Amino acid sequence: MPEIHVRGLVKEFGDQRALDDVSFTVADGELFTLLGPSGCGKSTTLMSIAGFQTPEQGSIEVGSERFFDAAANVAVPAERRNLGIVFQSYAVWPHMTVYENLAFPLKVRKLKRAAIRERIREVLDLVEMTPLEQRYPHQLSGGQQQRVALARALVYSPSVLLLDEPFSNLDAKLRDRARTWVKDLQHRLGLTTIFVTHDQDEALSMSDRVAVMSAGEVQQIGTPEEVYRRPFNRFVAEFVGRVNLIEGVISHGVVDVEGGTHKLRVIGADGADGAVTVAVRPEAVSVIRPDDMSVNGTNTWEARVETVAFLGDHYEYEVQAGPLALTVQSPRRVDGDRIKLHIPPDMCAVVG
Amino acid sequence: MATTPYEQPFPSPRRSVVPAWALQWGTWLLACVLVIGPFIPLFYASIRDRPLYEDGGVLTLQPYRDLFGDPAFWHAWGNTLLFAGLTTLMAVAGGALVAILCVRTDLAGRGWFGRLILLPILLPSLGMVLGWLVVWGPGGYLTQTFHDRFHLPTIAIDTIPGMALVEATRLLPIAFLTCQAALSRADSSLEDAARSAGARPVRVLFNITIPMLRPALLNAATLIFTLSIAALGIPLLLGTSNNIVFISSYLYNTWTNASTPDPGTVSAGAVMMLVVATLLLLLRNKLLGAEARFVSVGGKSGRQALLRLRGWRWPAAGLLALYLIGTTLVPILGLATMSFVVVLTPLVAPWDLATWDHWRVLWEDDAFRRSIENSAIIAVVGAVVTTAFVALATLVAHRSGFRFRRTLPFLMLYPRATPGIIIGIGFFWAYLLTGAFGDFMRDSIWGIMLAFCVRNLPLAYIVMYPTLARIGEELDRAGRAAGADWWRTSRTIVLPLLKPAIFASFILLFVEIINDYDPGVFLVKPGTEVMGATMLSQFIQGLVGPVSALALVQVVITVVVLTIGAKVFNIGVTRGEHGA
Repeated sequence: MPEIHVRGLVKEFGDQRALDDVSFTVADGELFTLLGPSGCGKSTTLMSIAGFQTPEQGSIEVGSERFFDAAANVAVPAERRNLGIVFQSYAVWPHMTVYENLAFPLKVRKLKRAAIRERIREVLDLVEMTPLEQRYPHQLSGGQQQRVALARALVYSPSVLLLDEPFSNLDAKLRDRARTWVKDLQHRLGLTTIFVTHDQDEALSMSDRVAVMSAGEVQQIGTPEEVYRRPFNRFVAEFVGRVNLIEGVISHGVVDVEGGTHKLRVIGADGADGAVTVAVRPEAVSVIRPDDMSVNGTNTWEARVETVAFLGDHYEYEVQAGPLALTVQSPRRVDGDRIKLHIPPDMCAVVG
Repeated sequence: MATTPYEQPFPSPRRSVVPAWALQWGTWLLACVLVIGPFIPLFYASIRDRPLYEDGGVLTLQPYRDLFGDPAFWHAWGNTLLFAGLTTLMAVAGGALVAILCVRTDLAGRGWFGRLILLPILLPSLGMVLGWLVVWGPGGYLTQTFHDRFHLPTIAIDTIPGMALVEATRLLPIAFLTCQAALSRADSSLEDAARSAGARPVRVLFNITIPMLRPALLNAATLIFTLSIAALGIPLLLGTSNNIVFISSYLYNTWTNASTPDPGTVSAGAVMMLVVATLLLLLRNKLLGAEARFVSVGGKSGRQALLRLRGWRWPAAGLLALYLIGTTLVPILGLATMSFVVVLTPLVAPWDLATWDHWRVLWEDDAFRRSIENSAIIAVVGAVVTTAFVALATLVAHRSGFRFRRTLPFLMLYPRATPGIIIGIGFFWAYLLTGAFGDFMRDSIWGIMLAFCVRNLPLAYIVMYPTLARIGEELDRAGRAAGADWWRTSRTIVLPLLKPAIFASFILLFVEIINDYDPGVFLVKPGTEVMGATMLSQFIQGLVGPVSALALVQVVITVVVLTIGAKVFNIGVTRGEHGA
């Protein structure tokens, strides 16, 4: 399984910049996710790798093969890139049976009938669809169609697997199962995979690494934990999960919160100076009874409870700490309208 | 990882024998040559002082000067515009009315009417004009009957308004189809909203439904106007007795009666007509863009509350049936009777004048018999070739990365704006200038077939494009990703999914080509006659009986093929649904 190098992709639609200097490297066997809202350029990036879009600048290499290089005028046609793709709509050919769908890429590769039969058996076993090989797509459920699409993308041992929002057409329950299953399969086969989604839960739960994109630019690349805990900027902080943004002035690792009454110590912001925004996840904040003295001092604030909502596995509080309106979560209910909040310094990320 | 048999080296994908770029360039170049090519010699011929086949000759504007100096030319334009205007008015008003009745009211038998109303545009236009003439013409059977028996006047179809009525009945289906489409895709919640605001159904109809039709009406009006400007059979068959000349018949008469053959003035007139038609097409493209803005998105259609006609439910259906009988069935019956009698007159019972002579002529006269054979061959081969070409060109236009793909839809739709007689003159000149190839085309039926095919390209495209647009692009991308090149993906994935449209296109093209005549009038020679052109020339010589028989042959072939086509198509569609 090869590495994928994407360097400096630029693509314009009219005067709209769809891709603006997009670069990343995907390691061998890695599941790499492009995450972002619709129109952020993630699908354009994927389709450029697949060969269905031609960027104006940049290059794309898979292993030792150069698929695309605008400067050298190289653009290998889609059909010669040997990539496996699962489309959002699955694109299972409606006039062919499951078997015929899988046979097509092999026929194109001049395999003998017996070899085709054997290979399809193997791959259908892999996706647990063997009993349904003579069915037509309209006789299959959404989840089954997705497995066929995946099997068809794998049947010819592509060098890389590309997944374009493959779960967005499944209902919530099925989606969870499909995620686990695909991740497991990807891991077992050691497939280098690029996965496109707008769903942050999906991105965080499945990926080895995530690239968060917005307005055609890559905002941050990192492991799910990094992207979630240490977002580089406001966009990443707000797009990946929920967040409280606290503004203030930092010096020597301590933020003077706007309004002047509160101080917030942060870790990992060495050298930062001046006006900053600090991102704090709602669940990173500990909600404590006002008489609890076990935590005290640094980053511990008094707050007034505005509303409490019960959300099954946790309680969500809207609180007012001095000038700051914050959203915090706690697995336990703390009664009374006065509480104490503790924000661990290592849970604070300076985002700009 | 090695526990799975996943990783396995496969040979690299096979490539098609003909590379995609060759196919795409070939398709595009062919489209350019066929659609634009014939007009270049036409234009050239219009600015020379002698026909193209004569050596020497200088460039001159004399043909235009001659043409513009001829008062008859301007008179013909006046007649044509009046005729086209009246036709458009009647066809659009009628088509919109029938569409509203069939889509928005509980008219009795509305499903049937919705289908039957389309028949006139598919029936042979020349034959139907002849049918009108035989029944409703100045000496026609019913005209005389009404006049002598009931002392009632009938509409004089040999006047401009009368001719417009005849043309309007043929073109009404276009307005009907456009309005029907607009009405059924309109979001019914817009009407529901008006009703819940307290408006009665009739008020909703006038204040919401009809205003929403406006873009569709404009669009249909432009197309009908463009088509009626090109009418040739109507002025030749109905206008001659009152000496009413349209621009197309002016060109036809000038060409056939000229002292010097193939005069430059005809080419100049044709160029002018082409310019007018092109401007109308551009206007229509603009209007279509405007129409897109009126499309109301969202909302589930289909569960629309129908306007209740109450007491008018059956009378309205009766009137509509009467209209269809009078304008479609009666002319056909007239043709049928005419073909079996010596003279068609209410004074003598038809069975006393019965004869097989007309049909015998059809069988025994070489020109008639050959024209049936030629038309059949041309229609079958032409429909196959055109369908195949348009299928390929539509794929290049909408499913390829070909550089000039966006020009293809315009190229394929352009002949729709071009009057048939002009396509005929264009090909005439083109064959004259292309040496051995041109000689071969001029001396065989294939030259006529090519002109008919080009004329009917737009129909095939109009049928195929909407179906292609519904086939998700990810389906062919999946094919490309799987290793198949453009042509193989098109062949094994897109074209099979396009099958219903390909079949429908074949059926409609067959019917259109077998009934087509005006591009052929300047191209036919002894030996290469086709039905429509033979009808025209024989009618002018006064052989009404055999011509009626020939027209009836056209009508029967048309109805039979359409019926079979609809049956097979329905089966095809049901199967398609199972497979999709």
